[in-house]
Amino acid sequence: MRVALAEDGALFREGLVLLLEAAGHDVVGCTPDGDSLVKLLAEEPADVAILDIRMPPEPDGGLSTAERLRAAHPGLGLLFLSHYAEAHYLMRILQIGTEAVGYRLKEKVGSVEVLTDTLTRIQNGEIVIEPVLARRLVERPTGTRRNAVASLSERESDVLRLMAEGRSNNGIAAQLFVTQKAVEKHIANIFTKLDLHPDASEHHRRVLAVLTYLRSQEDGG
Amino acid sequence: MVIEPAQGMGDTAPPVAARATVPGVGDRGRRREGEHWSRRRDLERQLHDGPALRIAALTLHLGLLKDKLQAGAGNVQPDIDDLQRQLHTVQQELRAIADQIYPPLLHDAGLGPALREVAGGGRVNLHVDAADARFDPALEGVAYFAVLDVLKHLDADGPPVHVVIRRSEEGLVLDLANVDTRRGGAVLDRIQGLGGAVDILAEPGMGTIRVRIPCE
Repeated sequence: MRVALAEDGALFREGLVLLLEAAGHDVVGCTPDGDSLVKLLAEEPADVAILDIRMPPEPDGGLSTAERLRAAHPGLGLLFLSHYAEAHYLMRILQIGTEAVGYRLKEKVGSVEVLTDTLTRIQNGEIVIEPVLARRLVERPTGTRRNAVASLSERESDVLRLMAEGRSNNGIAAQLFVTQKAVEKHIANIFTKLDLHPDASEHHRRVLAVLTYLRSQEDGG
Repeated sequence: MVIEPAQGMGDTAPPVAARATVPGVGDRGRRREGEHWSRRRDLERQLHDGPALRIAALTLHLGLLKDKLQAGAGNVQPDIDDLQRQLHTVQQELRAIADQIYPPLLHDAGLGPALREVAGGGRVNLHVDAADARFDPALEGVAYFAVLDVLKHLDADGPPVHVVIRRSEEGLVLDLANVDTRRGGAVLDRIQGLGGAVDILAEPGMGTIRVRIPCE
């Protein structure tokens, strides 16, 4: 896979390049800020761009850079790395795009397997969300959807949490040791309980189910 | 004509409601200093008991691992996985401490988003209603930690707390509804340095604390 990255911390940037190369990826370039990454990608095609959220241009250059990259290269996957897993940043990321995006903690991509799994899922169009954040959003919902959320069964909550991590039905079935058919049934129930209209596409409703939690976060109590 | 004696050196008269609920400036100043230094001591202790000790232990583990490799002992993967897990714990502990110093989200995005993050992860049911208004770092920091202090003294199963943040002509106005208004004194302690004032919009007990802090 062809990967470009922007990160202002030199130590982490160099470490990440080494790990990407060890994983067999082709690092087409690495830069210390967003503006030079945009320039680089205008010349060099890549499959996924890895962006630090807090880097120049300040204050959150990763996000403003990603907006420009998404507009210039719609097919480019975006992986955001941060020291912090915050719902606020996840909302902003999902406003940039709900396909081929990822948001992970820096110290949780520290192995060839995890890094490659994350990049591959993004390249395949999935949303990859740091599990600890996905769990927090699903287990501690607030806001107007509180009742809808509370009406989910324990198993449905598990399924929604895994959906929020960007897992496919197959992936969810494997994690929960159930059949794919059972997962589909749970998801249909979740859509009904969260009042998501059946005329939207399956993928669209998936994202809406996840966003329902995030929006209820933003709306407050 | 009767001239009232001055209340004290440099005493800028606080608003009536606040004056009625809190003790004199001398006690308050002393209490504020006391809390400031005990918070610093507490942070130092957290650094020592958490990340510092953990890193010291990690260096020992690395030493053992080197020994194991030199001895040609087979599988070191579980050791490395364990080292990475422990480093993640160190990161989490450092984040928790950084949040008590100045939350990065407060700096990046302001009071509204920072308090919403608290609402998402906290034990108290919290509703935040805030425009995008930004204030200077001192004001945002003081207001943020004043709110957290009030929340800390609430029961988890109480009525939802409603925070409304807005900018008036004078500066920040922050309403904290459904909270213990007896915390008003502690809030005033924190915001007084910025010339702020506290109004209690209820009898002592559950009600609304209004915080006003002037800014440019």
